Amino acid sequence: MKLPLSGLCPLLLSTVMCVTFVGCNVVRITLNTPLTQNDVAFIVPGRTTLAEVIAKLGAPDSITESHTGVVATYRFLDTKYSRINFGWLLKPFSPVDADLIISRTGLGTDAFELFCDSNWVVTHQSFLRHLSGPRFNPYPF
Amino acid sequence: MSFFKSLAGICIVSSVILTQGCAFSRGTLGEDIKSESVAAIKKATTTKAEILALLGAPDRLLQVNGRDVFQYYRYDAKVGSLLLILINFSRVSIKSDDLFVILDREGIVEEVILSKHTDGLEFRFWPFGE
Repeated sequence: MKLPLSGLCPLLLSTVMCVTFVGCNVVRITLNTPLTQNDVAFIVPGRTTLAEVIAKLGAPDSITESHTGVVATYRFLDTKYSRINFGWLLKPFSPVDADLIISRTGLGTDAFELFCDSNWVVTHQSFLRHLSGPRFNPYPF
Repeated sequence: MSFFKSLAGICIVSSVILTQGCAFSRGTLGEDIKSESVAAIKKATTTKAEILALLGAPDRLLQVNGRDVFQYYRYDAKVGSLLLILINFSRVSIKSDDLFVILDREGIVEEVILSKHTDGLEFRFWPFGE
């Protein structure tokens, strides 16, 4: 199945390629608005309905069926990429373009999942990965 | 007064020297979900055929709770890059508009769920903070 974001891959790739040829790069990619525990604190399992959740958080990215009811998923991404090319320090003195690059990417993918019963009442809720969010840190070791 | 003039001059000269350029890119996936088309959908009245006529075939067809769910989506990505001599700052922001139309067993609209996140999407350069 074709992923919804596959059409945007050339744009992301060209962005990464364009910023690759400089000494330092700091890139951040955000998909949707990252949700926090505070954003979903209003949800009370067994009482809150999916309609109430949608009124506050907007429509989920996907709705799928499970044996016990419905699963609504909010996906988000907060990727942080940083890169340093120490070879740039040699550029004024060296006849060749030497590269000594360190870089690191923190993907920061997460999702918030809601399990609802057949009456659209939320029964369980959880974040997929409980991430605290990646930091800009080019040191890969 | 002359201090501020000098400071302003230094700032302008520095920014001209240090800034190589900036870049704006944009990518979209899917058709725009028109609000007037969604407003034309009436719960308990509009049929599956009318939905198809209004919005076209759905991007995804799901079966949930014994009901058909038509999902329409559109993604919008905006990239802002500030290219300096020694360092580049880039920020890619992607948001989506999603429309779910839930149809009952008779093919009549039971629920319409729309959220448009792309309206407030802006070009941003600065990768730090929120």
